[in-house]
Amino acid sequence: MQTTTVGTPAQPRFWPRLMDACQVVHWRNLPVMIVLGVGAVFMMLPFFWMFSASMRPTGEAYALPPTFLPEHFNLDAYETVLGASFSFTQMYWNSFIVAALTTAGVVISSTMAAFAFSRLKFRGRMALFALLLLGLMVPPSLVLIPLFFGFAYTGVLDTLWALILPSVASPLGIFMMRQFMSTQPREYEESAFIDGASYWTIFLKISLPQMGPPIAALSIITFTQSWNNFVVPLVLVRKIEIMTLPVGMLVLADPTGDFSVSAVMAAISMAVIPLFIIFLIGQRFIIEGMTHTGIKG
Amino acid sequence: MSSLGRREQWAAYGFLTPAFSFYLLFVAIPLLAAIGFSFFYIDRTTLSFDFAGLENFRFVYSDPRFWKTFQNTFYFISLAVVGNVGGGLVLAVLLNRTLPRFVLYVFRLAYFFPVLVATAFITFIWKFLYSNDLGILNYYLREIGLSGVGWLSDARVAMISVVIMDVWKHVGFFMIILLAALQGVPRDLIEAAKIDGASEFSIFRNIIVPFISPVILFCVTYASIGGLQVFDSIRILTNGGPGDSTRTVVLYMFDEAFGVGDLSTGTVAALTLLIAIAIVVALQMYISRRWVLR
Repeated sequence: MQTTTVGTPAQPRFWPRLMDACQVVHWRNLPVMIVLGVGAVFMMLPFFWMFSASMRPTGEAYALPPTFLPEHFNLDAYETVLGASFSFTQMYWNSFIVAALTTAGVVISSTMAAFAFSRLKFRGRMALFALLLLGLMVPPSLVLIPLFFGFAYTGVLDTLWALILPSVASPLGIFMMRQFMSTQPREYEESAFIDGASYWTIFLKISLPQMGPPIAALSIITFTQSWNNFVVPLVLVRKIEIMTLPVGMLVLADPTGDFSVSAVMAAISMAVIPLFIIFLIGQRFIIEGMTHTGIKG
Repeated sequence: MSSLGRREQWAAYGFLTPAFSFYLLFVAIPLLAAIGFSFFYIDRTTLSFDFAGLENFRFVYSDPRFWKTFQNTFYFISLAVVGNVGGGLVLAVLLNRTLPRFVLYVFRLAYFFPVLVATAFITFIWKFLYSNDLGILNYYLREIGLSGVGWLSDARVAMISVVIMDVWKHVGFFMIILLAALQGVPRDLIEAAKIDGASEFSIFRNIIVPFISPVILFCVTYASIGGLQVFDSIRILTNGGPGDSTRTVVLYMFDEAFGVGDLSTGTVAALTLLIAIAIVVALQMYISRRWVLR
């Protein structure tokens, strides 16, 4: 074997790279960039205020004019929230469990149904799909009253299942997965079928592996939707041990309660952090997924 | 049907079973139940039913407060649609040019992040920003010599405050969708118009807008359907007040069903909402067939 000494590969130097980067900047766009930049700062200000208030002592959080950064930096508010008489960590865990199980349920049922709709021929395909699309119109608030009723009868009310099960029914998820699948070539599935593979094997071994990006998008969207859901837990859950974060905030921020602004802001900061991390990791998937199907988080 | 086809058929039903069981149990059956409920008196504590005929409908539709909430909802929608879709379009147009990747990333993060965060979380932040005496907004208004605004306590302003927060939260969503649509406008069409001497505005008005009109219509429909169901933000910010000035249909439904405890009245209100949504969807289909180009 011949080894060629190439020396150290040429390091791209700093200044040429910077110049390259600057050429990408079209200078006539500068005013637009400034306008957008100012707007972006205003968009982030409420979040900035939240973080900064959460790290102030109680008295300082109300102080006007507000200073940009906390003058007396401390994390007491976080301690207050975590050491509260009810368990904030329990709420956090509830939110996580509900969101994780909902996401798993939606991803499994939607991909399976999408496989049937886009790869298999069966009687009633159009009718069933149309039925599903009708479901997209039904407002959650309408379904809530009968659900409350049914759950009260079956004793599911005030359990985490009451929050998970209804959210697994996701016409949107099926629609999204089917849209993606019908843009993929079906030849792989067809040849596997001719080779005698069962439908289940085809689904698991051939269809699913192609669907990484849309599954990522669906998971992120479902997870955040569940994490953020407010109406359903507000109606279906009364016990504080079962509450998820959004409804828990209502208890926490109750003006007659004994939590300060800093404590409320600390609680919200902690609730927002997972969303921020998810966004940083998955922004490409989220934005692609949303552009194709149009779903809000 | 051949045995192969029959096998395929059964496999398909198998694959559909999980999704459709959930769909039937938690969407279809509750929907039918809701329609049924609207014809009964329901006692919330004993969970007993008494046939009421159309009495529930008569009760809700003759309640002036119900129509007031509908009016409020439409007021909210008209402002929120203009703010969200209009604002989203402006942002999309501004962003639709060659920007350094890092800058684009930061802008997308800043404008889009509020979309992901629960209304229930951010509303508490805004509630503090909006508060009368200790609120930051009023502090700066007073600093520059204006009088403070009763953001949430003035019946004339409260809905506008709700809309401002709503636009702040959702504008990034419409920005992303419209930006994708703008990037789909064929470049050669625009280049050709430029060569023919068309002005920037004329290109926007006569080429870009017609081209993305289906997406704009989608955004308006989507924002209207979302607006019809607005609840979280108002529940936390004002809880319908002051007076009934920000009470929307879903708040009315919620108060009737779970506050007063009259499930059947709540159901009628929610059914009316479904009808309104169906009308919006039908309108969208009609308009897209008639007017939207392509």
